[in-house]
Amino acid sequence: MLRFASIRLVSLSLSLLAASIVIFAVVEVIPGDPASYMLGMNAQEDTVAALREQLGLEGSIVTRYFTWVTGMLQGDFGTSYTYRVPVSELILARIWISLPLAVYALALSTIIAFPVGLIAAAQRGKATDTGIMAATQLGVAVPNFWFAMFLVVIFAIKLRWFSAGGFPGWDEGFWLSIKSLTLPAIALALPQASILARIMRSSILDTLDQDYIRTARAKGLTRRQAITRHALRNAMIPVLTIIGMQFSFLLAGAIIIENVFFLPGLGRLIFQGITQRDLIVVESVVMLLVFAVITVTFLVDLAYAAVDPRLRRR
Amino acid sequence: MSLLSVKNLNLSIHGVPILKGLDFEVQPGEVFGIVGESGSGKSMTALAAMGLLPEGAVASGTAHLEGIDLLSTPEAQMCGLRGNRIAMIFQEPMTALNPVKTIGDQVAETLVIHGRASKAEALKIAREKLDRVGLPAARFPLDRYPHELSGGQRQRVVIAQAIALRPQLLIADEPTTALDVTTQAQILKLLKSLVNEEGMALILITHDLAVVSDIADHVAVMKLGEIVETGTTVDIFRNMQHPYTKQLFAASSHVPERVADAKDAPILEVVNAVRTYAMPREKLFRKPPRFKAVNDVSFTLFQGENLGLVGESGCGKSTLTRAILGLDALDSGQIRLFGQSVTPAMPNTLRAGVQVVFQDPYGSFNPRWKVERLVAEPFHLMVEKPADSRARVAEALDSVGMKPADMGKYIHEFSGGQRQRIAIARALILRPDLIVLDEAVSALDVSIRAQILDLLADLSDRLNLSYLFISHDLSVVRAITDRVLVMKAGQIVESGDTEDVFTNPQHAYTRELLAATPRLPDNAVA
Repeated sequence: MLRFASIRLVSLSLSLLAASIVIFAVVEVIPGDPASYMLGMNAQEDTVAALREQLGLEGSIVTRYFTWVTGMLQGDFGTSYTYRVPVSELILARIWISLPLAVYALALSTIIAFPVGLIAAAQRGKATDTGIMAATQLGVAVPNFWFAMFLVVIFAIKLRWFSAGGFPGWDEGFWLSIKSLTLPAIALALPQASILARIMRSSILDTLDQDYIRTARAKGLTRRQAITRHALRNAMIPVLTIIGMQFSFLLAGAIIIENVFFLPGLGRLIFQGITQRDLIVVESVVMLLVFAVITVTFLVDLAYAAVDPRLRRR
Repeated sequence: MSLLSVKNLNLSIHGVPILKGLDFEVQPGEVFGIVGESGSGKSMTALAAMGLLPEGAVASGTAHLEGIDLLSTPEAQMCGLRGNRIAMIFQEPMTALNPVKTIGDQVAETLVIHGRASKAEALKIAREKLDRVGLPAARFPLDRYPHELSGGQRQRVVIAQAIALRPQLLIADEPTTALDVTTQAQILKLLKSLVNEEGMALILITHDLAVVSDIADHVAVMKLGEIVETGTTVDIFRNMQHPYTKQLFAASSHVPERVADAKDAPILEVVNAVRTYAMPREKLFRKPPRFKAVNDVSFTLFQGENLGLVGESGCGKSTLTRAILGLDALDSGQIRLFGQSVTPAMPNTLRAGVQVVFQDPYGSFNPRWKVERLVAEPFHLMVEKPADSRARVAEALDSVGMKPADMGKYIHEFSGGQRQRIAIARALILRPDLIVLDEAVSALDVSIRAQILDLLADLSDRLNLSYLFISHDLSVVRAITDRVLVMKAGQIVESGDTEDVFTNPQHAYTRELLAATPRLPDNAVA
């Protein structure tokens, strides 16, 4: 198991290295010079050159890449071109919204999807199953921002249980912050839960067709025991993959929901960074997201090995 | 009193009748064989007794196990009987165990689920049962996972689960069909000893008459949902009454008529062929060790000759076949076809000279193509597709006993035997000199198998074809080949004229294989 983990760790570090090169290269080829963007159309050439020097945009690509990477390793993500504050500060302020939001949404999605998928599988072909399949189909098809607006109309405007947007900050109290993240988390979670429930259902149904379930039944297990003792753990393998992918998506892909609810998260930061040619912010946030995705992938790999003994010896 | 008494058992699935008025009795401590071809309803009979019928199945009649009617017992009580008084093992040991649970847990589960033991006691009993089925603690500790065991070992674990509570009746549905002959012999011996020592009754379901004749006390022959003949094994084999039983018997020992006329011209020459595979790394930065799948194999196949290649799973047959077909490169050595070197990069014109028929008549066709396109597919090996391609497809279909009109149909419209005929037509379409038959009749019922063997013999005589006939089934190889190679662990351990090798085997492994092969009784009369 330790061997498995260390081999995965090495390969993931290599992916991280490769990702940093790709991100750096892509941002390099994006047209538009941040210095001339910041100074406006009529700026003098030597002013622009001076600003480029100041922003660290001069020098060969290779030196700049290494400055960037070594800086990041020491926690220095550079200084934002537009805000003139360290990027790390910008990220730190926002990650405490985006990360809890992603975790919250994923928790909701999993809590909803597991029992729903399980019930649908156990009731295959019956009315409950048909109902669940129809509902999840709707959940997959409807975009999350539509859910967001729907939730705002019902719970914020009509019932006045939640505020329609904004984030008070963790200093204002834990529960108050959680409350303000609730509607966005639900809006994010519903489509994810629908996908996950459907995967869960089909994965359980696949395992129920396996020979070892028949063996278990021949030993005297009831249908329910066969599901809980034998089908569930095997069915988890594809489900784990989807959970890993969903977390990455929730962390990086909440841009629209953050906008709907006026949440100053990473999604909005990266959006602003792109529109303002604040490339250093874009690079750093994307790199951070890649790091998060790779970490989650690693955790999912470990979870695989925990579930499936066949993977442990590889 | 009988242990199991089945009376007028009828079964239909979604309205289609599957079993028609079955009557049979199983006595305590006996082996009751049920023989039949696919679709005869053997497995459904077993599943009906277990109460594990598929959805849409409706059964009528009675099946009394010591006074309890298994057909009318509610599901909740059936769960108490299954694994406890009546147990079952299945055909496919590779998938019969849960891959994420240890073998100890899975055997112990039978005891725990029936409330017969605490988890700790159950594990102790599981240990005893695994010892009993020939999996000693030293090599097979309880925390082994199924993927660490071979097929035969897994089947032993399945048996240990089934006998953990000493059921009165064990049903074994084709328990050895997926296993090699030597493993099959061991498992059958184990089952027989369990019957003798534990006083269990065994219902043995199989397609193989020879297996039944070896081990069963009573036999029932099934055809299309009916028992056509039943009696003691000795009586049945001495004095077969029903034409179907006679037909099955004749097909099981069928030897096609053919003329052996091998010429001196070599078609295929394999010279010191070696093929290795990398095994998992032992140390992170050390070269992984290599496994020699084919280890210094040499032989020559002559024009018009039928050459057999026998060996058990993992012996390297398939690896060698892939190399001969030019699908995989060799590490060293050479394969020559008509004197030209066979490699993955060989020209299509050379490829056209050797065609292949695989084992699985269901998996070896694209289901979305019509038969005409399937059979004509090898034409892409030619520089130019022949103008009379339709006529040649019709000719090929005709030569394998199919109708030219079948061209317009899809493959799912055909039975297994018909599909194998179409596969042979596909192999014939380029008029090759050599056809590789890779377990080509292994998945077929005996009567279909006999027909296909006749067809192959006829084709080889008529078209002067050579065959490389690869199989684990010694009786088939004996029936159709002139010369045979016996392969073990990547090497040819014995070769010679088929009759010589079978009547006077020289190598210990060949003798072991022959001894393990179930045989029909010599005094049997059809």
